Amino acid sequence: MLDSYPETLISIEWHSSSFTPGNSDFDIPEYSTRASLYGVGGIPHTQWNGVEETVGGYANGNWEPFMSTFTALYNSMVDDETPYDISINGYIGNEVSYDVTITMDSDMSSSNQKIDVFLVEDNIWSYWTGASQYHNARNVARDWLLSDDLTISETGESEFFTGSFNLSDSWNSDSVKIIAVVQNYSSKQVYQVAQVNINDMNPDIDDDGIINVEDNCVDIFNPNQEDSDFDSIGDPCDPCDNLVYVLGNLNGDVLMGAPILDVFDVLQLVNFLIDSNSHECQNDIMNINGDDFINVVDVISLIQMIMTGEM
Amino acid sequence: MKKTVFIFAISLSFGQGLDKMDILISDLEEILRNSSRSFQNVFVEDFTGLQ
Repeated sequence: MLDSYPETLISIEWHSSSFTPGNSDFDIPEYSTRASLYGVGGIPHTQWNGVEETVGGYANGNWEPFMSTFTALYNSMVDDETPYDISINGYIGNEVSYDVTITMDSDMSSSNQKIDVFLVEDNIWSYWTGASQYHNARNVARDWLLSDDLTISETGESEFFTGSFNLSDSWNSDSVKIIAVVQNYSSKQVYQVAQVNINDMNPDIDDDGIINVEDNCVDIFNPNQEDSDFDSIGDPCDPCDNLVYVLGNLNGDVLMGAPILDVFDVLQLVNFLIDSNSHECQNDIMNINGDDFINVVDVISLIQMIMTGEM
Repeated sequence: MKKTVFIFAISLSFGQGLDKMDILISDLEEILRNSSRSFQNVFVEDFTGLQ
């Protein structure tokens, strides 16, 4: 089935120490954490997009009787709409460095949303006692590289995760893949999954000569890495000059390079309190008194700042 | 009176034309929204019992 849907069906094969081919190293400690996420009891157990399961055995490792069930599950899930797109890139050096970019094309709450990154090795020829035969183990879990919270929730937002790992001498490096999953840990629903063979990763998405993990604008060509406000976000992808949009300078005006705080900034703040409209460069500079609330007290604090000349 | 009816008729036909235009624009927006949506891959985790 994996070969029938190579682009849209992504799998991981987990092994406990009790169920692993003899003399193999398929069992990893992370098995128990992942199994407990779904309350895995009876083995074998398949979990589809985190929410649909099949439990039950098969004679001598023959999955054929389950194919119609699996196909029905696949067809019910594939091409569901999702707000998330996942891109996996990186390069192989002394170790393997990877970067995962999550992008949203519609809004969804980030509550309980997590990104997990797994390492698998595909097509491991091994002898299975229970089936008395050799079998190609597919996408065997080799490591759980990363588990982190997603913070993005709105259309157009992106979030970037990086990491690295070492290849084991016992692995076939041609068959090693990285799998990234966006999953809600409350409902267990998987919202998107992507995989890439480590030999197919792109180390420099925008082809500007700066590898992704060192590029201050990952997907915009900027070979000179200009960063006017020294915030590690390159100018082409940094809409807010932090040297201009300092605390209180809501309209972003400057005189001879220096931000100007005046009554026009006060009016901008008052406008925000009335209609809640602001642009992204204003969001972090309206909380004048630093109390996590933006209200009339900030207006008073801003007026005080202007009158006393504080910056 | 004629002028009033004439103006009313013109504004009515314009109104209907604008309604149709609104519907077309709305349909186009929906198509563009859907064409840019991501579609999900399927993820299966196999807690296998073979040994």
